[in-house]
Amino acid sequence: MKRSQPSRRAALQALGGVALGTLGARALAAVGGLPSAGHADSSSEWERLREHLFATRPIEANPDASAVQLIVPLRAAYGASVPVKIVSKLPQKEALYVRRLYVLVDKNPSPVAAVLDLTPEVGQADFETRLRVDEYSHVRVVSELSNGQLHTDSRYVKTSGGCSAPPNRDALHLIGKTVIKLTGALRLNEPNTADVTVVHPNDTGFELNQVTVMYIPPHFVSTIKVSFARRKVFDAELDFSVSENPTWRFNFVPHAGGELRAEVTDSKDAQFVGTLAVG
Amino acid sequence: MSRRLALILLLCLGALPLAALAGFPVAYAPIVVQPTGTPERYEFDLSAALRQAKRTNKRLYVYLGASDCPYCRKYEAFLDRNAAELVPEFAKDYLVVDLRSNLSANAQRLYIRIGNSSLPYADFQRSIGDERARQLVYPSVWLFDANVKPLMQMPAGTGTFETVPEQLEILRLEQ
Repeated sequence: MKRSQPSRRAALQALGGVALGTLGARALAAVGGLPSAGHADSSSEWERLREHLFATRPIEANPDASAVQLIVPLRAAYGASVPVKIVSKLPQKEALYVRRLYVLVDKNPSPVAAVLDLTPEVGQADFETRLRVDEYSHVRVVSELSNGQLHTDSRYVKTSGGCSAPPNRDALHLIGKTVIKLTGALRLNEPNTADVTVVHPNDTGFELNQVTVMYIPPHFVSTIKVSFARRKVFDAELDFSVSENPTWRFNFVPHAGGELRAEVTDSKDAQFVGTLAVG
Repeated sequence: MSRRLALILLLCLGALPLAALAGFPVAYAPIVVQPTGTPERYEFDLSAALRQAKRTNKRLYVYLGASDCPYCRKYEAFLDRNAAELVPEFAKDYLVVDLRSNLSANAQRLYIRIGNSSLPYADFQRSIGDERARQLVYPSVWLFDANVKPLMQMPAGTGTFETVPEQLEILRLEQ
């Protein structure tokens, strides 16, 4: 996906809408009164993305018929960390499963936030993560099933400044640390939920270093490959639209003990690994 | 009034700091809470407002503004401009609480007191499950029931509800 370079003015305008008590900094306000839209509406950006990614293939968008649901708040605490939940309405079975999930933010500088390549090992193709949303925009998910069908859902989100928010720099020495955790007790032969988190600034290239007044170069996690007992669970191609310290909540189905493993690459080709012995 | 006195009065009025004009517009009948413990800390006590909320069966619309924060003035000006439309909507369900701060009151110095408990900003936010614990932003708004239960995760700042329809979305807790 082509990434357009922001103008300095546009990036500065996007610098957020708030006075930061912690920093004593005074930034610009998020602009109220922007055009509103319905959750299911299209946008010019979506029309272009749709043509580019899916050409003329039909996409089921009727909420009653679509195999995927997207849960995103209308407003989030911070544009740089908007919680996003993807819920698949069909179980992940060999006969029919979610093969790929595309996560899009229409108006972000790079709108394809993530493409997840899934296997039936996921068990249930539900995912949670956090995204940067740069301005009032639709967030969309497109679910591609193993039979080739496309299903979608979308939510309109009111926030701004997500790609240019001042970054945290508390844990630079930990960059790449990859942690996997189960969210509950292990259950064999059914979907178990786990989180993979990579400590990483996921710099967008649109963030201003407030000391040097220079833009921080982009540096973000570009892939996460998750496997269990050497069997692929899912691969994720990612972009800087994913929030710093990228975290993905996912499912996997263990049939016996094994190693849950996440192999991570970032945009500077650094590689990291996190593992968890399960069972 | 002599011309000299009038001139002095005018000059004094002109020199009034912006801070004197700060705050939630009076049309909304805000409960103004001034900080105690300054300048070392800015502690805002919500106890009385909560008691009033219980008595009147209302929710709290808690506004944290700073006297030297231009974005606070912007939001307050929006509220003032649209008071005719918005005051009745606020009055239906909410008591407005106006916490009067300034930008020097950062997350380490700002405390929220409820009864015997006084917590610094981040701890208070964590105690109520508010994601904004990470960063104190002026202005900030919280929506509480009379038991300090947050009614909705609010965004940092007020920039996304500075139109009447969007302010109404907030009051109606539209997610």
